[in-house]
Amino acid sequence: MKNFNWLALGFLAPALIVITVFFLAPVILTGIFSFTSMSTSTGVTGGEYLLNQSGLRALADKGLNQTTLDQLNNAGYVVDEQGLAVLAEKHGAATADEMRKLHENGQFSARRDMERALKDLKANKIRSTKDRKAAAELFKHSLLNERFETEAKFRTALVEGDIPTEDHEIIVTQAYTGWVWTTDNIKLLFSLPSTLRYAGNTLIYVTLTLIFNIGFGLFLAITTFYLPAKSASTFRAIWFLPRILPPVMYVLLWKWLTWDTGFIATTLSWVGVAPKNWMLDTSTHAWVVVVLINGSFGASLGMILFSSAIKAIPSSILYSSEVDGANRWQQVRYIILPHLRWPILFITSYQTLSLLTSFEHILLSTEGGPGRATEVWSLAAYHIALDNYGGNLQYGLGATFAVALVIIGIIASLFYLRFFNFNEMVAKPKIEG
Amino acid sequence: MMTISILKKALLASAMVLSTTAAFAEDITITVWAGGSNESDSYRMDAIEMAADILSKEQAILGNELNITIEKKRDFGGWSEFKQAVTLAAEAGTAPNIVVSSHLDIAPWSEAGYIVPVEDYLDLDAWPINNIYGNLLKIASFDGVQWGIPQDAESRPFFFWKETMSKIGYSDADIEALPAKVQAGEYTLANVLEDAKKAVDMGLVEKGYGFYPRASNGPDFAQFYLSFGGELQDPATGKLVLDKTAMQAMYQFFVDAVDAGITRKNHIGTDGSQWYADVANGKVAMWHGGTWHYGRYTGKEGNNDFFDTIQFSLIPAGNDAGKANTITHPLVYLITDQETDRAEEIAAQLINIASEPRINTLHAIKSSHLGITRQQANIELYSGNRWAAEATERLLPYASSQPNHLQYGAFSEALWKGLEASWTGVQTPADAIKEVEAELIAILGDELIIR
Repeated sequence: MKNFNWLALGFLAPALIVITVFFLAPVILTGIFSFTSMSTSTGVTGGEYLLNQSGLRALADKGLNQTTLDQLNNAGYVVDEQGLAVLAEKHGAATADEMRKLHENGQFSARRDMERALKDLKANKIRSTKDRKAAAELFKHSLLNERFETEAKFRTALVEGDIPTEDHEIIVTQAYTGWVWTTDNIKLLFSLPSTLRYAGNTLIYVTLTLIFNIGFGLFLAITTFYLPAKSASTFRAIWFLPRILPPVMYVLLWKWLTWDTGFIATTLSWVGVAPKNWMLDTSTHAWVVVVLINGSFGASLGMILFSSAIKAIPSSILYSSEVDGANRWQQVRYIILPHLRWPILFITSYQTLSLLTSFEHILLSTEGGPGRATEVWSLAAYHIALDNYGGNLQYGLGATFAVALVIIGIIASLFYLRFFNFNEMVAKPKIEG
Repeated sequence: MMTISILKKALLASAMVLSTTAAFAEDITITVWAGGSNESDSYRMDAIEMAADILSKEQAILGNELNITIEKKRDFGGWSEFKQAVTLAAEAGTAPNIVVSSHLDIAPWSEAGYIVPVEDYLDLDAWPINNIYGNLLKIASFDGVQWGIPQDAESRPFFFWKETMSKIGYSDADIEALPAKVQAGEYTLANVLEDAKKAVDMGLVEKGYGFYPRASNGPDFAQFYLSFGGELQDPATGKLVLDKTAMQAMYQFFVDAVDAGITRKNHIGTDGSQWYADVANGKVAMWHGGTWHYGRYTGKEGNNDFFDTIQFSLIPAGNDAGKANTITHPLVYLITDQETDRAEEIAAQLINIASEPRINTLHAIKSSHLGITRQQANIELYSGNRWAAEATERLLPYASSQPNHLQYGAFSEALWKGLEASWTGVQTPADAIKEVEAELIAILGDELIIR
């Protein structure tokens, strides 16, 4: 540890914290969540024990015998001596006596009925709603609709309710409201027909956008390289606009352009083309727009990187090629492109990974439509985990979708490293060897 | 000496009185969050403020000083942001005391322990709960437990633009008789296709503007499933039901509407403001919406002559298997689980008072919703409002609701996915149904009945 540089650690600390908090922690948590049944209804922080009608129904489906089911279902409220004794303690013997006269051994299935029975008291009225509710609880035998904080308490209640011991296990499992560890999400992922569609959509999206990104970025970099410096920077600045505009604004401009009351539709209506929504008319329209939106956004990054890489090519090489009689195309083909191998590798792998996970432009423009035609994997993960009209968000399943994406991303990176022969490119220069 | 000692005693006594009063003084802050609300829905939260005032006065008479501060919030972006905010706050232990949300949230939120049943605190047989319509109360319950109190009611009518209808050959008397014919099943969705096509063919409305449905997922589409004889929940078992024949017929109806040129293929995702502007001023022949649209059409969209320009009815039946219907999707007041029982108790008292017919009427009329209690018919502000009175009478008795079921969200999403795919021509209705079925079997398992 003698050589340990505390100053360096100090300088690195902010980066380490940011990486841990905003990258490592979410990735690890997503990984953990993907193996759980976590949803809105299970909560995130743990569960309690609750048996309700839905739970009884599920128990019946799981094969719990009818006798136990009836026992659980029909326990209800009973005006028994035990309850009356406590009632006498709390509200006086006279109240308990009157209740005994009115409803001795009376059985009530619902709390409301029990409260109504207590309202029958005439001479010894329990006037406050709160007290009456508390009094009703004294006669409760049913453990339905009651939350038990711990398993032990719930098991005690089962014992007190004379539920056969052999049935406890299945009831306890069903009654737990929290999330459990499970691999069901992965099974579900492979059995849902929509999974294949999302995978296909993602493949289309990444491939087409990537081709557009790199191709157009290269085109802009090379063409502006041959332009006079001033107009070159003007062109670059224009193509940089999509990146510096806020995404919401940027996509809104595309919407104004493509809506059925938008620019394209209005202009074309002058030459007799019926107005239509150029973004959502068919899935082809949607794909073209999605690729253009994301492509124009991504191309600017490629343009900047490629431009500076071209500038780094020693001008003597270009001059000598001109002396040798090379035309522009030959310069591009034999000098510029070979020199751009590194930046092209970088942009390709970087963009693949970011396209795999980016969905904000699609969410804002087509929202996956029409008919889920442009619903890519990451957007589906978002919809499953965080957007559901009915309210029960599937955090666990959404996380599984996200983890699958991480795995695909890692495989893609490994593939790129091999394909572009990464080791050779980072090999030590022989001259310094 | 005597006077001094009397003075002393008096001072002491008053000091004691003051100190005991101070000991009884109770300050409590109650937070109310309302989802899906805008300015016209302000009484969703203001009613709680009025209730706090009444409760404090009631307590003052009993000699208790109860100071309630109400904190209100309704700006959440959309429904999903609101629901995320509530669930995250609940997980963090900082949930608002009172939440105004969809009744569909009751199932997941009760299971998660975010909310507590109102029946733990309120006498369901006492005023004003005993005056609330039974079907609405039932919608605010889950598994036999009363979790919430309906905050408002609404239903989702079918609308006709009168002028267009008369131009395609309906007399004024015919138009007046339409709601009754729809209800009797004599005017069906097949007639809708036919009449909307006439309107488009005659050039009364543009192509794609004959029938103008809702442009995003919502309870409305379940109505069309019911129109074709579908059922959402099996009453005997409480399980969700996928009636494939009804669902496919429903999908086919929207496909037919697109093929006939009366509905736009890319209608889904139409901007909300554009949608309202289109329907409120005669650009569209027929459409469906909600009772609260009345406020929007006559307010922001400037239709000053609602009753002379628009006719409304139930959603027509699709075929012999189904019947005319409408769905009510009330918002509900829910009480969240708090550290102290006292906060829950006061919150429950407040939503109870806020459900007083007179207070609820303020919300109903201001926001063009329907009332929740029978007695509102005896309050002039309500009974004197033609829209509230007629809509209540024509629609509410036939209103059903979506089931409170843990998995209903997944069910509704799958239903919508299939509809979207058929509507936009990405899949045929038959293929869409196959995918919906496979998806629902995988997700719902035993909780699904397929017919």
